[in-house]
Amino acid sequence: MMQQALIPVFALLCSMLAAAIIFTLPEERQRLRTVINLLAALIKVALVGVMTWGVLNERDYGLSYEILPGVSFVLQADALAMMFAGLSAVLWLLTTIYAVGYLEGSPNRSRFFGFFSLCVASTMGIALAGNLFTFFLFYEMLTLSTYPLVVHRGTDKALRAGRNYIMYTLSGGAALLLGIIWLQGLVGDISFQETGQLKDVDENLHLPLMLVFGLLVAGLGVKAALFPLHGWLPQAMVAPAPVSALLHAVAVVKAGAFGIVRVVYDLYGIEFATLLGVLEPLGWLAAFTIVYGSVRALSQSDLKRRLAYSTVSQVSYIVLGAAVFGPVGTVGGLVHLLHQGIMKITLFFCAGNYAETLGIHKVQELNGAGRRMPLTSAAFTLAAFGMIGAPPLAGFVTKWTLGSGALNVGMEWVVAVLLISSMLNAAYFLPVIHRLWFLSEYEWSYQRRWGRLETHSWLLWPPLVTASLTLLAGLFAVLPFSPLSWAELIAAREYLP
Amino acid sequence: MMVWVLLAVCLPLLPVVLALHPALQRWQWRLLPLVSLPALGLVLLGPAQWQLGLPGLLLGANWQLDALRQPFLLLTALLWSFAGLYATGYVKRCRRSFALFWGLTLCGNLGLVLAADLVSFYAFFALMTFAGYGLVVHERTSAAFRAGRVYLVMAVLGEMALLAGLLLAAGTANSLLLADLSVAIAESPRADLIMVFLLVGFGVKAGLLLLHLWLPLAHPVAPTPASAVLSGAMIKAGLLGWLLTLPLGQTSQLVTGTVLVLIGMLASLGGALIGVCQRQSKAVLAYSSISQMGLMTLMLGVALAVPERTVWLLPVIGTFALHHALAKGALFLSVGIRMPNHRLARWLYWGVIAVPGLSLAGLPLTSGAHTKLAMKQALQVDGLVWSLAPWLGNLLTAGAMATLLLVLRFLWLQVRNTNRNESGPCMQMGWGLVLMASLLFPWFAPELPAAITTTLADHVTYWMALIWPMLVALFMAGMVVAIRLRAPEVPAGDLVVLLEDSVKKARGRSRVSVSIRIGGKRVEWLQKALVCRVQPAETGLRVHIAGSVLILALLFFLL
Repeated sequence: MMQQALIPVFALLCSMLAAAIIFTLPEERQRLRTVINLLAALIKVALVGVMTWGVLNERDYGLSYEILPGVSFVLQADALAMMFAGLSAVLWLLTTIYAVGYLEGSPNRSRFFGFFSLCVASTMGIALAGNLFTFFLFYEMLTLSTYPLVVHRGTDKALRAGRNYIMYTLSGGAALLLGIIWLQGLVGDISFQETGQLKDVDENLHLPLMLVFGLLVAGLGVKAALFPLHGWLPQAMVAPAPVSALLHAVAVVKAGAFGIVRVVYDLYGIEFATLLGVLEPLGWLAAFTIVYGSVRALSQSDLKRRLAYSTVSQVSYIVLGAAVFGPVGTVGGLVHLLHQGIMKITLFFCAGNYAETLGIHKVQELNGAGRRMPLTSAAFTLAAFGMIGAPPLAGFVTKWTLGSGALNVGMEWVVAVLLISSMLNAAYFLPVIHRLWFLSEYEWSYQRRWGRLETHSWLLWPPLVTASLTLLAGLFAVLPFSPLSWAELIAAREYLP
Repeated sequence: MMVWVLLAVCLPLLPVVLALHPALQRWQWRLLPLVSLPALGLVLLGPAQWQLGLPGLLLGANWQLDALRQPFLLLTALLWSFAGLYATGYVKRCRRSFALFWGLTLCGNLGLVLAADLVSFYAFFALMTFAGYGLVVHERTSAAFRAGRVYLVMAVLGEMALLAGLLLAAGTANSLLLADLSVAIAESPRADLIMVFLLVGFGVKAGLLLLHLWLPLAHPVAPTPASAVLSGAMIKAGLLGWLLTLPLGQTSQLVTGTVLVLIGMLASLGGALIGVCQRQSKAVLAYSSISQMGLMTLMLGVALAVPERTVWLLPVIGTFALHHALAKGALFLSVGIRMPNHRLARWLYWGVIAVPGLSLAGLPLTSGAHTKLAMKQALQVDGLVWSLAPWLGNLLTAGAMATLLLVLRFLWLQVRNTNRNESGPCMQMGWGLVLMASLLFPWFAPELPAAITTTLADHVTYWMALIWPMLVALFMAGMVVAIRLRAPEVPAGDLVVLLEDSVKKARGRSRVSVSIRIGGKRVEWLQKALVCRVQPAETGLRVHIAGSVLILALLFFLL
């Protein structure tokens, strides 16, 4: 059916169109811009919802268009794509609301929201990409559209961070491109498919395929902030809070992690990748990144930096899950794609609220902020406990499934890594929570008031919604359409013979 | 039924809900004593056995009540209700925060008693642990924060051990039901590892020796009603965890069981020994709890080592837990009750305060005698290594002596340092109710196996055996007073203090060595590697990495 093929295109176009309109709007047309932004975001949520329902019922949403002989542009919506697309659609809506409140009255908003929409369009493209070439197109588009967001403030520090960011990601992109071309040379143009495409290749292609895997992972690992390619991430937190939130939760790091998941499951196929023996080093690298990120987070006194290192650590859970063979481990990794997203976005929203309302940037300035901003702090507390992995929150579901998946296949060291990481998470989050609720108030340099609410209502609602999602995702983990059941659906389709 | 159960577990969250809107916040405090009433109703009026499946919750939840959980639910509901009443009179500042954490902790405690599947059990356990922090540091003093820190560090360690144990256990059992665990663990090749994780994980809560460090610090600084539930109810959560997960009644775990017996012996006597050297009455009570939990650990050890005794020991442990919760709760709550002015009333006052203490030591016609007699019969076993078995009876006698000494120490400290603040009707009522429950215990005690006889007539028959250790203890205390022997001062939290000191010293030493060998590059490097070197290393990495990735990529490509 034609309409079915068009839905993914519409989902892509709606934010691109929004970007085009917003770029042409004059700076002062704030209301119109907000309406367009929200409208596009809502349409996208609706489209993704329709596709999700269709994918659940095994409908096919595909579109293929040959650009050059042997190189085609493929969009397709499978269960894994819908997971990422759903995450980005929902969180984009919330982040748009948040950003409108956050940037109220600041300059260059047309530019900001234009690139913001472009960035989300590329995320959507990454989600729906049906082969590596399409994936790469959107992957690079994401790099280019996030750069103006990172340097939005235009300060020296921001420009430096931006330069760094672009250096990292472009060279990552180069590595990825080389990998793609090499792969194309080896096996031709292949699209992503559940259970993988490479199982039946010739034996003597195994070595080059291993090297290609290394290149692809190196290219994707830059965005996924795998050690030692994570250096840009803590610097990029100079960006405005909504950008950091999106960067850390959905757009950039997730694009990298999602790419790795795609390569492992839908390109190589988990069984073939295990056969090649590339998963074990990947698992060790992820495990090291998990611990390393947490250790580094411990010594950060800047709240956003601490959160950034925490991202380095948490995103690697996804990669670790991909590296654990067996459906339960897969579920653990995939489900964290969503869980980490909602938890980390909550934390960054809250950090932004503290900065905007009380001028808080350092951890020690958080003393007593719980009394002044109870709802924000409650959201922060929930998300932080989720990160630690305390039940019944989302993070626990990840940890539990990842742990049992690893035990099922005899990888006890994964459990040890999980425990160490949780302990470190507790060590850098619990003191923050303690400061929030139990210490007497810090003398904040300035306080802004918004009537009865503790902060601007557009800043307050998004973290509350995502924090509730964190709770609900854990509390009702087995219900249909919960992150866990969706991840189980994907895993069931990935391991089918 | 389902509505009732959900209400019993979730109503304690009412203060959290009320906190959301400023207009409702004043109700938070007023409704505090009411939040545990559905649970009390559930255990007193509801059926004794039920099962409830909540397949949509968590990873598929299952809650149930059975003979094992019954006494634990009873003690939790009773103690929290009455202590809640007491709290409304006791807590004067930060009431909303208190109500919030009280509700959350209560919800966790009630839920974990009813949980029949691993995930909801662990969830409620974690909720209780983390929310309990708010109760411990309620006073916001530096002592409270120190105790809170120790509490939290140990709690996190415990949670991690627990998670590891539960993951391993669930993996071997291939099931999330607690009831399936014990068989699976017993048959697992990694049984010992799993048991160690579980023992440590729950041991932090249950005050297992060496993991007890937080207890004597947290109890004195927490508000009195909070100490009562900490020591009465929450400490039992660890015990219940053991009972629910360890392979009881399966194949004999001789080594683990024997080690537990020894640890229990050591705790029951050592706890008392350190306890009598305390300067604060609530710290004395905390050590008494450690000592009493030692006896329960001992019974658990015997049950692990001698599986055929499990059917006897489980009900006895439940009975003991209930008895201890009520008696200890009454003792803790009495700390805040004002001494009356009238002379006669004063005698009555001291008498009433002393009764739960004497009950702990096993005074005939009290709950203590009831449990002591049951324990004596249940512990007549053979089959422990190193012929430990015959010593168990003597240990109980020694334990009774030690307990009475502790109680006397507590009374001594109370007399010299008694509370002269007003205690309102709520406090008196809450205390009175716990006391009453403790005294009426033999009439609603959980049913014991038919082979164990503990009727009131037995109390009278065996009065001599029960009384003489107490008389010896009294005599010893009298001697101590007569010769004016002063107990050496042992700081509360015993080993924690040593740990803290050694950490401080280690820090100091490293600073000293740096200043001495200021030119010595090695030391400097070691220092910097941890603190300063990582940062520039990462910066360097950042500068060079992009280039190196590119070069590597090119190299690969050329290959």
